[in-house]
Amino acid sequence: MAKENIIVKILRYNPEKDKKPFWKRYDLKVDDDSTILDILNEIHWNIDGTLAYRRSCRSSICGSCAMKVNGQNVLACKTPMHKFKGNKLKIEPLPGFSILKDLVVDMDGFFEKMERIKPYLILDKPIPDKEFIQKPDEFESIRESATCILCGACTSACPSLWANEDYLGPAALLKAYRFIFDTRDDGKDERIDIVNDKNGIWRCHTIFNCMEACPKDIKITEYLSRLKAKVLENSI
Amino acid sequence: MYKRTKIFDLNYYKFVGSWAWILHRLAGLALIFYITLHIWVINTLTKGSDTFNSVMDFLNSPLFKFLEVGLWGVILFHAFNGIRIIIIDFLEGAVSHKKIFYIFIIIAFLLWVIGGYRILSHINWIQ
Repeated sequence: MAKENIIVKILRYNPEKDKKPFWKRYDLKVDDDSTILDILNEIHWNIDGTLAYRRSCRSSICGSCAMKVNGQNVLACKTPMHKFKGNKLKIEPLPGFSILKDLVVDMDGFFEKMERIKPYLILDKPIPDKEFIQKPDEFESIRESATCILCGACTSACPSLWANEDYLGPAALLKAYRFIFDTRDDGKDERIDIVNDKNGIWRCHTIFNCMEACPKDIKITEYLSRLKAKVLENSI
Repeated sequence: MYKRTKIFDLNYYKFVGSWAWILHRLAGLALIFYITLHIWVINTLTKGSDTFNSVMDFLNSPLFKFLEVGLWGVILFHAFNGIRIIIIDFLEGAVSHKKIFYIFIIIAFLLWVIGGYRILSHINWIQ
């Protein structure tokens, strides 16, 4: 395994000391197949222990380590450093969210929006004795949208959210899609009302930043478009 | 906590979709400006034929012909990207949005060259 010299610039911010975030440069030698998270670990463990960042599963399923690297939102554990050309990396916290410390951002608003669209089955009918029957093709329409790991990379990449912090954002709207198109669910009208709001689905201007950012390659914009059609259909 | 709301991240990487959106907005603003100008020009009709004719003579200069070629480009981009957005939103075009963008840009460019040639060939260079 070859070693490689890289230059990493990280946007640091300590709320107890700093008024503003600032760039700090680290020069280090890493294995050439390192991921962004490996590099952060290397800095945190061996160079600068004060660096704060979120990480947990390091196998792209917990959704903790979303951050902006060289201008794009990525999942640090999933992204090899060779995704980016050259040996320079610029690592920042997710845009659009407030910074708590270094790469750790405030996700409260993100999860509050997720709760607002009621991300659970709403039932009018009695719960069946054994299980809900759902045909494979009915499940297929929500299969991909259900793989969202709530990392926030999409919502943070959305220019509509940068302009208006109250916008629900792609992640919450995708969750709304997942339940509105679920054949077992009875809460469609309720959820469509929440989505059909001035800060809801109509602030999606099909910029596709969410789809480019999604580490699980979910076709977010396609589902949001289907949701738009559904909302229109419902209001006729 | 360092608040970062209402800040546009201008350094964020711009993908095809981002450029399409930015240019669509700018083209829209340019068209608003043009329509205002257009209404003002037509408004001179109410001030008699002499005023209108003098304005029309002014607008017949080569400079305005070149601006018209630019306007034709802006209209084509805004129109074709608008169709692209309709395809994305209502005809399941989200997955192939980049392909649609490139195809429409080529069509718009060809129409721009043809129309631009037609406009410029009507310039009366000697006045």
